[in-house]
Amino acid sequence: MNVQTRAIEVTRYSPERDKEPYLQRYDVPFDESTSILDALNYIKEHIDATLSYRWSCRMAICGSCGVMVNGIPKLGCKDFLRLYDHTPETPIRIEPLAHFSVERDLIVNMDEFLTHLEAVKPYIIGDNVDTASLPAEASLQSPAQLSRYQQFANCINCGLCYAACPQFGLNPEFVGPGAIALAHRYNLDSRDHGKTERMPLLNSKNGVWSCTFVGFCSDVCPKGVDPAAAVNQGKVDSAKSMLIQLFKGSQLQGEHQ
Amino acid sequence: MQQHSFDVIVVGGGGAGLRAAIAAASADDSLQVAMLSKVYPMRSHTVAAEGGAAAVTRDDDSYAAHFEDTVAGGDWLAEQGVVDYFVRHAHAELVQMERWGCPWSRRPDGHVQVRRFGGMKTERTWFAADKTGFHMLHTLYQTSLKYPNIQRFDEYFVLDLITDESGIGGVIALQISTGELHVLYANAVIMATGGAGRVFRFNTNGGIVTGDGMAIAYRHGVALRDMEFVQYHPTGLPGSGILITEASRGEGGVLLNKDHYRYLQDYDLGPETPLGEPKNKYMELGPRDKLSQAFWHEQQQGRTGKHGESDVVYLDLRHLGAEFLHERLPFICELAKAYVNVDPVKEPIPIRPAVHYTMGGIMTDSQCETSIGGLYAVGECASVGLHGANRLGSNSLSELLVFGRLAGEKAARRARAFANKQHHNLLQARSKAILATWEDKIAGLMDTSTRDPKSRSWAELKQALVTTMETGCGIYRQESALQETLETIRALKADYQDVRIEDQSGVYNTDLLHCIELEFSLDVAEAICLAALERRESRGAHQRLEPELTQRNDREFLKHSLVSWENERAVLRWQDVDTSLSAPGERAYGDQRKTRQADNGGAA
Amino acid sequence: MSYKTSLSGSWWRKHRFFKLYMLREATVLPLAFLLCSLLAGVFSLQDAERFAQWQSFMGNPLIVAVHLIALLASLYHAFTFFQLFPRVMPIRLGDKTLPAQWLVAAQWLAVVVIIAIVLWVVSGGEP
Ligand SMILES: Cc1cc2nc3c(=O)[nH]c(=O)nc-3n(C[C@H](O)[C@H](O)[C@H](O)COP(=O)(O)OP(=O)(O)OC[C@H]3O[C@@H](n4cnc5c(N)ncnc54)[C@H](O)[C@@H]3O)c2cc1C
Ligand code: SF4
Ligand code: FES
Repeated sequence: MNVQTRAIEVTRYSPERDKEPYLQRYDVPFDESTSILDALNYIKEHIDATLSYRWSCRMAICGSCGVMVNGIPKLGCKDFLRLYDHTPETPIRIEPLAHFSVERDLIVNMDEFLTHLEAVKPYIIGDNVDTASLPAEASLQSPAQLSRYQQFANCINCGLCYAACPQFGLNPEFVGPGAIALAHRYNLDSRDHGKTERMPLLNSKNGVWSCTFVGFCSDVCPKGVDPAAAVNQGKVDSAKSMLIQLFKGSQLQGEHQ
Repeated sequence: MQQHSFDVIVVGGGGAGLRAAIAAASADDSLQVAMLSKVYPMRSHTVAAEGGAAAVTRDDDSYAAHFEDTVAGGDWLAEQGVVDYFVRHAHAELVQMERWGCPWSRRPDGHVQVRRFGGMKTERTWFAADKTGFHMLHTLYQTSLKYPNIQRFDEYFVLDLITDESGIGGVIALQISTGELHVLYANAVIMATGGAGRVFRFNTNGGIVTGDGMAIAYRHGVALRDMEFVQYHPTGLPGSGILITEASRGEGGVLLNKDHYRYLQDYDLGPETPLGEPKNKYMELGPRDKLSQAFWHEQQQGRTGKHGESDVVYLDLRHLGAEFLHERLPFICELAKAYVNVDPVKEPIPIRPAVHYTMGGIMTDSQCETSIGGLYAVGECASVGLHGANRLGSNSLSELLVFGRLAGEKAARRARAFANKQHHNLLQARSKAILATWEDKIAGLMDTSTRDPKSRSWAELKQALVTTMETGCGIYRQESALQETLETIRALKADYQDVRIEDQSGVYNTDLLHCIELEFSLDVAEAICLAALERRESRGAHQRLEPELTQRNDREFLKHSLVSWENERAVLRWQDVDTSLSAPGERAYGDQRKTRQADNGGAA
Repeated sequence: MSYKTSLSGSWWRKHRFFKLYMLREATVLPLAFLLCSLLAGVFSLQDAERFAQWQSFMGNPLIVAVHLIALLASLYHAFTFFQLFPRVMPIRLGDKTLPAQWLVAAQWLAVVVIIAIVLWVVSGGEP
């Protein structure tokens, strides 16, 4: 049988053993449908059981399997070996997501993203949210109102946009594209009344104004969320909210005098 | 080793676990709730559910109708009191999800839209485009952030339970990022660890769906119920098994064999419905087991096509048009393009059946409590008795909510009743012993100096397991193959004793985790196979090939199977079914329904 | 202990996308330069002699070339700006968001109209 193989190199790092990450090379069989994740699974089950990486759904929806492939953030399960040229001298390179701390091999510290996500209060804020006194009725929301935020609700929390964002790379305190997109999703939801609670963080130094609209985050997003658009629409909101604050502030002072 | 004390522990961060944690945390904000999951909650496999969640919604629908569909769909093996409770509470739970922000698809007037689903008489399935599970899971995860009394332990792998005479006392977990073992005490524990589809080779499940919780409870003497009922989904992508949602047929997709013929009409599901006019319970909207079985027959007759190495039939969506497909089934278009390189607008999608759902699970009473006091189970890992011999699509997402909430509330009540933490001190000795067993076990797995050169790796054993399950416990089953598979599983269990792992690290040692998961899977597989062997009839998803066993046999088998672990072996017993509300009738689809009804004077 | 990576100063040279981004940011400078020249011209209008000086300075072929390059760079900057605008301020009419291409086209149309008006005014308001 004539099985084609591809050369790939994978970052290895064990905090107990290594001072810094290094690359290890493997040759894996492939066909038209072999994904990067399939290749990693092949290595784990047939060549080297000590390789660690995250995955679960293998259908681009759980957001576990983000890695850098030849320097670009990708979902391992939705990127395919067939898309890459390779020679024995230039293998396909698989590395952990950029800008995150590396815990082990391809596994990064996702909390560096999720703490930001949890800080933006990503849930509906308002009265009548908990329907303890059932039965209640569903609120109305027109397809047009739904379509305002729907795109931003499609984020799978994969973190690729953070690995694409140089501002996050320079300043890990930057709330970042994915989390701001989620805040924006709730701000745009006709059922939500929590915008004023979310704006102070977005207005802050590490909020929307840390973004210089590089835009690469939206380019790499596997779900078409366009987080860069969310962040920059957030700037418009932020400017408005700060103006209102300013106005209210001077009014308050006026009242005191 | 670290120790923690909580009031309620939830094991699992999928739809069921999150709903339960929220219910427990909001029942009483003085209760401390811990939620452990081996992956971040939003990675749980609930995320992959596409189609939707069922609840009686339209004016022309009724609880009685949803009840009938569920009970008949489950071939009268459902607990009818449980089904009744379920259909009455599903709507309120979906409304609660709406209030929490779930982006349900809407009608032009702003009301939530419902879609058709296989086996359901009327449209009652709520959906969020074709990513319902994804949106539900993220809504629940995000909402859970509101509750300061929920403490998450993400990437903690639960290994074992701590129990004593008075019931549950807590869990033992491995912190994946460090390899450290933790003891967590609580007087109420909820298992919500999901299904076990990964014990089969070809399945629609994520890599984490390995039946851990089922095996853990089973090893503590809790029975696994109705394990032989494993649902095949008729439309998985060849190769990967990735699911193409049933909603694609609900929206009007049709199934063709290699001769472009809508073969379902030959299997009591006809007459053929006109293109673009799908009809509930006819043709493509018949129940999943019938559709998967029809595939098997077509395959036997050589009327299936080929995609790579897989035999396939075709799901044709072309007549629905590009705009409709992109609006209603965007994820399906994306998946077909990425994984089989087919644009559904232009070509039919090659598909084949894949293992999808485990109807059985940890046996509970109607209140989600197991035979161990204070230990609850909910979601796909549990058998509360809703699905019987076959689950109807879109009933299980609603199940997560209805029973997740119930389990959470019950657990909160129990935690309050047993508020004294003295119990935790009493358990110290026990937890130490269990901990020591696990420490030894892990050290043993890592001790490569004692490796038998002939021993196989977990990966090889896993491969052998999933292959034998597919051959012996597939869509159609028979005595000899089941017997052989059972023996293979037992041999694999023996071989497992010699397994060693390469990875010696404490940090993210996935080699170790997969190895432990395999041990859990072996237990679950044995239970499935044993129950399938002993159920000598055909019912719902369990179909026997022997000519004398192809019919349902209520006289002997209108019973739940219970497999328990006793004296180091699997033992099978039978349990009566609650049929107090509707006597067993004939399960018929297509026009068959009308004729049968006429014959029975409309009683079916 | 996890391994902390840090961003080197040359991060933007690693990828075409980042280089284009740097170009977009850099072209703000020529744009500013163009504006300064123009403003200098406007101020010099107060004094006929200074205006003549400015005019003759601007006539220098080298200066013309520099300004042409700056104009091209500014156009590139405008191009990127116009592309991004619809994503920052999507415009909704009823149920639908206007297609981004329409907004981009509208912005270029506005540029053409403004140039036409300016030319018309400069040429003395004759049709
Ligand atoms: C592709 C697909 C599509 C589906 N579509 C539909 C649909 O349209 N409608 C419908 O009603 N149903 C559908 N289902 C079924 C339904 O989605 C599942 O039954 C349901 O989501 C299971 O939820 P769960 O919360 O019980 O488990 P899961 O979501 O699987 O969560 C299990 C949790 O347990 C944790 N866990 C497991 N083991 C351990 C351990 N040892 N230690 C710690 N944590 C552990 C996991 O980390 C995870 O958080 C679908 C299923 C699949 C596979
Ligand atoms: S916005 Fe896109 S890239 Fe960023 S986390 Fe969400 S899905 Fe991933
Ligand atoms: S494995 Fe789930 S997104 Fe890739």
